[in-house]
Amino acid sequence: MTAAMASTGITPRESVAFRRGKVDGRELSVKEREDMVKRILPDEPSESSDVPSRSSSPLKSKRPRQKMEQRKRKPGLIKQILYIVIHAVVSFLFSVFFRFRRSYRLVKSRVVAVLYHHHRTPEFIQRDIKQLERLPKHLSVILDFNESDEDQGDAGLEGLLNNVCEIAAWTASAGIPLLSVYEQTGVLKNYIPQTHQSITATLETYFGPRKPTLSVRAPHLQSYSPPLTPPRSSSPERNGDPKEERPHLTVLLLSANDGRNTMVDLTKTLTEMAQNGALQSKQIDSNLIDAELRDAVSTEPDLLVLFSPTVTLKGYPPWQLRLTEIFHLPDNKGVNYQAFLRALYKFAKAEMRLGR
Amino acid sequence: MESLHNSRLRSWLSSSPPVIWGVRQLRELLIGALRQGPIPQHVAFVMDGNRRFARDHHIETVEGHNLGFEALARILEVCYKTGVKVVTIYAFSIENFKRSKHEVDALMAMAKLKLNQLSEHGALLDRYGASIRILGQRELVRPDVLEAVDKAVALTAKNKKAILNVCFPYTSRDEITTAVQKTVDAYSTPIESGRISSKRPFSETHITHHIRKQMLQTVPEDAAETLAASRSASPSSSKELNSSAGGQSSATSTAITSEKGENPSGAPSYLDPETITTETLTNNMLTAGMPPLDLLVRTSGVQRLSDFMLWQCHEKTSIVFLECLWPEFDLWQFLPVLVEWQWQQKKLREQEKTSRSMQIASKRNT
Repeated sequence: MTAAMASTGITPRESVAFRRGKVDGRELSVKEREDMVKRILPDEPSESSDVPSRSSSPLKSKRPRQKMEQRKRKPGLIKQILYIVIHAVVSFLFSVFFRFRRSYRLVKSRVVAVLYHHHRTPEFIQRDIKQLERLPKHLSVILDFNESDEDQGDAGLEGLLNNVCEIAAWTASAGIPLLSVYEQTGVLKNYIPQTHQSITATLETYFGPRKPTLSVRAPHLQSYSPPLTPPRSSSPERNGDPKEERPHLTVLLLSANDGRNTMVDLTKTLTEMAQNGALQSKQIDSNLIDAELRDAVSTEPDLLVLFSPTVTLKGYPPWQLRLTEIFHLPDNKGVNYQAFLRALYKFAKAEMRLGR
Repeated sequence: MESLHNSRLRSWLSSSPPVIWGVRQLRELLIGALRQGPIPQHVAFVMDGNRRFARDHHIETVEGHNLGFEALARILEVCYKTGVKVVTIYAFSIENFKRSKHEVDALMAMAKLKLNQLSEHGALLDRYGASIRILGQRELVRPDVLEAVDKAVALTAKNKKAILNVCFPYTSRDEITTAVQKTVDAYSTPIESGRISSKRPFSETHITHHIRKQMLQTVPEDAAETLAASRSASPSSSKELNSSAGGQSSATSTAITSEKGENPSGAPSYLDPETITTETLTNNMLTAGMPPLDLLVRTSGVQRLSDFMLWQCHEKTSIVFLECLWPEFDLWQFLPVLVEWQWQQKKLREQEKTSRSMQIASKRNT
């Protein structure tokens, strides 16, 4: 506690007064309390408002004015200069620190990437996650549609599709049944059959002919799981052992349209119903909205993985994010397997040991 | 013995007046320095970790909440002195009512005590210029606490410089649901169209007549044909033609039809639901009229939003998860967050500038 006191600049006497409202075992009056905090208070509002204008005015022109005023002005100006200098110093120190931290993290992630690599083999991925006690049932990722190539080599539609395929393969290997891919522009929604085709091809390189079955869908669009992939376990030939049953992966494509705009659409529909007398506004509750959005868009994901260096949601459907675990790797850039793996470890609250 | 001696020496040193004075000056300097860069307009805090802090330090849970309140006071001072306009704090979730009755009662008592104390110092609050607002389900709060809340809110209502939003039984889904409800209510109450239109010197039938005329002249042939066809199909009903013309114009500019969905018959007329936008919903949220959320900080290492500000932080908000527990949170933890935010902001601005100049260059080339 005492160590904390030093950093706050509050005396023990004051902190007791603050906590208990008493000094030396005696209740404080309103007046006494006010006296106590007086020296930490900011200036009167009228005075503080013209501080900036004061500092910006050049000093020379003020010479003919009275001395009294100048004396009053001086500390403000010196303080202002001091603030600017300190801000420059602090910003510089931190920018050096941030850069160092970024390179440190980069090196660390490279090391992890060497130690943990999937080698396009589901068995490797399964071994990596074997010890995890819980896995998400619904995994979600936020991807970017990069217009220009930045040094990840995942620019344009092809790069995006490539990322989706890889993530889908890792998800399938980990045994997670549902993957939702959020991408702001929703460009992939126009290419659902092609997406299905390339994911299937990628799954084939991972699993060989015994690849999991796949369906790709997007809200308001039909699910795409062509008859090429044999029908799911409903087929009658179940005479083999139960392991013959192939797992199924559903990939859900989301875009910014499925976020706030869908909420607006729902409101519009509800409004129309209310106008026609089919609905009372009292009947609208969070269960109703939740049920509607669950059917129309998606369920709440258990884990959201970001591959961006910072956490910004870029328009991800707000309603669905209520209790979702949000994972990001600070300063990470681009999709990579070790970020995916670390997200799963974080979700299972497991320690990831370097060098197994 | 050695370590005990050391810690005693340190505690004596750290509570000696010159050290405390120095630290306070340093804080003021850093806050003043921070003000020189861009400052987030709206910051939200999830005050997580009071209970774990209490458990770790072997003190009562309630005492942990008390320390958490102190941390809040410190951080509010930092925020308002650096120039943050709106601070939103997650004080109490609707879900928290499920906690032990003892804890809930203690929290409520604390809220009441602190708010009452706050109300005694009206003049001091004016110096900060902050007005308190309570976001959430008022019906769930005990009446005596509610009274203290209302007093504090009324006392600070006139302050304009800054806002403190206290999310007091709040969940974001509840907020969104209420916003949807309000919107539906607003759009499903009939508008008294007769009174409104009589005040203005324009007649709507006259305007639609003009629009129809214009469309017959300017619209490409097939559109004119369909219009003619609809007329021939039901030549007598001018009402239907009216509505079809209205539908056409609403595609180009909703303003004509939406404001007053004129209906010649006696049926009540409503606002057009198609004019509902995200702004409509945003304006019905509890944070209506406030600057967009720039920064959301959650302490105690939990990386979840936990039903807080879902609608508000969905796009550009920087979300920061910190490992420290809330009672430990202070300027020293907040400073790196703010500096990093300033740094990112600077980088974003540079990026925008380069992309804009590139756009201009590409335009010149073409």
